[in-house]
Amino acid sequence: MTENNNEKEERKGKYIIEREYVEDERIIEPEKLDIGGVDASGRWGLIVLPRVIKDFDHSLIDEVKKLPRGKHIERCWQCGLCTSVCPVAHKEPNFNPRYFIYIVKMGYKSEIKKLKKYVYLCQGCGLCSEACPKHVDPSGVMMALNILFDKV
Amino acid sequence: MEKNKSVLVIGAGPAGLQASKDIAEFGYRVILVEKNSELGGAPIRWKYHTLAPDFVPTEKVLGPLIDFVKNNNLITVYTDSIVESYEQKEDFFNIKILNLKSKGVYNEKVSAIIVATGFEHFNASVDPRYGYGINPNVIGINELEVMISNGKVLRHDGKIPKRIGFIFCVGSRDRSTNPWCCTVCCGVSIKQAIEIKKIIPDSQIYMIYMDIRTVGLWEKLYWQSMENYHINYIRGRVGEIYWTGEKLLVKGEDTLVRGPFEALFDMIVLAVGMEPGEGTKQIAKVLGLKVNEYGFLSPRIPNIHYDSGKDGIFLAGACVAPMSVEEAIGEGSAAALQAIKYSMRKAKKMP
Amino acid sequence: MDNKLSINFNDEEISLTKEDQKLFQKLIEERKAKLAKGTIEDYLRMLEKMKELEKKEEIILHHVHEEYQPRLVKTLSGRIKKIPTVELWQHKSCGQCGHIPGYISSLYWIMNELNIPYVDDTNQTSCTAWNYYGSGTSNSIAITAVFLRNMHVAYEKNAYPLIHCGTSFGDYKECRYLVVMSDEIRNKVRAILKKIDRDIVIPEELVHYSEWLHVMRYEIAERKKFNVSNIKVAVHAACHTYKLMSEDYTYDDNILNGIRPAPTSSIVLALGAKLVDYSNWYDCCGFGFRHILTEREISRSFAYFRKIKPIVEETQADVLITHDTGCVTTLDKSQVVPLAHGYKETIPVIADSQFAALAMGAHPFRICQLHWHIADWKNLLNKMEIDWQSAWDDYKKYIEELKKGAKPFLLIPPPRKLQPRIRDERKNLNGEE
Repeated sequence: MTENNNEKEERKGKYIIEREYVEDERIIEPEKLDIGGVDASGRWGLIVLPRVIKDFDHSLIDEVKKLPRGKHIERCWQCGLCTSVCPVAHKEPNFNPRYFIYIVKMGYKSEIKKLKKYVYLCQGCGLCSEACPKHVDPSGVMMALNILFDKV
Repeated sequence: MEKNKSVLVIGAGPAGLQASKDIAEFGYRVILVEKNSELGGAPIRWKYHTLAPDFVPTEKVLGPLIDFVKNNNLITVYTDSIVESYEQKEDFFNIKILNLKSKGVYNEKVSAIIVATGFEHFNASVDPRYGYGINPNVIGINELEVMISNGKVLRHDGKIPKRIGFIFCVGSRDRSTNPWCCTVCCGVSIKQAIEIKKIIPDSQIYMIYMDIRTVGLWEKLYWQSMENYHINYIRGRVGEIYWTGEKLLVKGEDTLVRGPFEALFDMIVLAVGMEPGEGTKQIAKVLGLKVNEYGFLSPRIPNIHYDSGKDGIFLAGACVAPMSVEEAIGEGSAAALQAIKYSMRKAKKMP
Repeated sequence: MDNKLSINFNDEEISLTKEDQKLFQKLIEERKAKLAKGTIEDYLRMLEKMKELEKKEEIILHHVHEEYQPRLVKTLSGRIKKIPTVELWQHKSCGQCGHIPGYISSLYWIMNELNIPYVDDTNQTSCTAWNYYGSGTSNSIAITAVFLRNMHVAYEKNAYPLIHCGTSFGDYKECRYLVVMSDEIRNKVRAILKKIDRDIVIPEELVHYSEWLHVMRYEIAERKKFNVSNIKVAVHAACHTYKLMSEDYTYDDNILNGIRPAPTSSIVLALGAKLVDYSNWYDCCGFGFRHILTEREISRSFAYFRKIKPIVEETQADVLITHDTGCVTTLDKSQVVPLAHGYKETIPVIADSQFAALAMGAHPFRICQLHWHIADWKNLLNKMEIDWQSAWDDYKKYIEELKKGAKPFLLIPPPRKLQPRIRDERKNLNGEE
């Protein structure tokens, strides 16, 4: 992630002490907000949306299973061996094959929307599929997700 | 019958039944005392449908044992009874058996005693997190086993549940309730989830777990549940269950997402663990047996279960530690041999 | 029940008499899953030590004696707690006096209607619990000294302290625990009190005003003037009252099966309103001790999205009632910004004393001061069939008269029966030289 060079553009919600733990999408900071004649722009009108997962959606995993190299996605038991050998994961913390498989299995759309741009970083090296004890073929699943995440 | 060729077996669960069978086949007499009206212990009391990991029907394993015990001339069965007192003499024990219904007292003389008093399932109403006993549609794995035996898994209002959650480690691995692990609940819960999937194919089942401890050959249940039966696994814990009037709102944390979830479920099954039952507590007092900090019977050396440390008294089964049916059967057999060896030694037939 | 109950504690057999059994019955049998492990036992041990200190004459206990006409309630562990009903020393809340004036004026008005004598002392300091919970800038000795100073004033006036604010209540529970259990704190606090010519007086029971409303609920319901049977009421209980030192708050087996604290829910039920339940009952209002100062944005969002919005969506309640200054403030004021963002869910938030006073026919503005509350209460008053429009006109006229120099309408307490303890220069409060 590159630093934003524009000094004028301040990070929204910068007064929140635990800012690092709040995702950008959940912060709504209005540029202009007037409440009954009182100026509540900026931090005075800032609200933070909750992050509770309300439901599970298994339609995505059905789509992945239909694609030839994604058909073993259901075998994954989240051990993390794939991420531990993945060269991309060692550089880019948002690329985590184990976690991608999990959010697709459980259908956490908000997480998918946040992370889908990182799926393209997969190099296709296949180390994960060699390491996987359940023969999930995470390398293939990443290919399937590349196709599917476009639609989410 | 000679008093030094009689063995008292307390408890007619898998361990007690196997011990009785072995002793009778050897040619000794057995006094089998059981607190409940039926023989078979927890698998029969709670109507276990099949046994993990191969889905063997319970009758196939326990049926032959119960039939043998009922029909064998050398075995005297006292149901609805407890051992009220015992007295150790030079080479035999004087036993007083009390029938809880008729209040009749019976005297027996035996040369050795086997304690196989088994376990009780944890009563989840003591744990306020899940609202067991207050919220409808929150049941334990014991009650679910009865439903599966009847072939119908239904909510309290008679409807078929679509989304079912299993919560692991209820009444176990918890300092506020019971600190030990019950070893078999993970495997039993997964077995039941697969059986529910067979009864209700379009249901969505979620196993909310801390760890999955399907040991040994039971591991195949875990793999099958994910790969063949499409059962979902959420690594996390549930803090509160709220009844909305129609569904159960389950509030927990999903560890892998590192965030909270609040989802609606039709039914929640609690994997209630094993704890020492009233029978174990009562017999420990009567026979003066040592009990460890968890309330289980404590053998003289922890890894050798049959040796109670008291002359002539042997331990077997879930009254010593949580275990599966197959392990209890094995322990019953081991205790039977120890009891026979002891009796023979006492009758001066062996050094 | 046997005369003796034996329990095994650390390999030691302890025999309890029948009286002690009642104390421990709930502890051992019903509350076996002691998720608040240690809190209940420690608190009960503290109460025992308090009595011991009194016997050794190290402290004075302000007893809830018969002249306070106490009524009995049960706490979490089954202990009997005495709630005084008359001759109360009103321990006011800075937040209430500051921006929810209707909160206490409603309580005073109710006491006047029931002819309950009380002392509205000007000689009270703020409990400084905000110091402790909000900014963490104080220390245990200073806060305890302030606590005992107020208690000493009440003892002098011969009136039993009734604590208005939930935060004060929680703070005082903690301070009492510290001063009883720790000799060091007690000695240091005594030194401070000696400098202002006071000594350590500890109240036998710490009583929150919502517990007073709970024991007086039938008398209040008798004087009800407006029908509230069609009003749906959601209740929020403050963290400081029942989560902090959870042993010392009222639980009643007939109210909500004794699972949740009884006050506030009980008076709603006694008035005949419809009590509704929602999924986030146990959640904090959003004030969150220090959060409202340091993480205002998250506090405000939490209060709206995790409390107000679910309550409105799940229950469509007409009013949200609570019993603490901070809770009323947070839940009421936090609705402003999300509503400006376009969210639709809103609910009026008032205190139990204000709701009870409204039902008894108090003036919505002179007494209940509803105009200080931001979330719209007009629908609630319409449903209760209270003509707020003419009440508002009347209130505006009253303000005009005040501006012209008329005397303000004050709430005068009924005459007291008990006399204050006179302090002789040479003697202390017990009459010793």
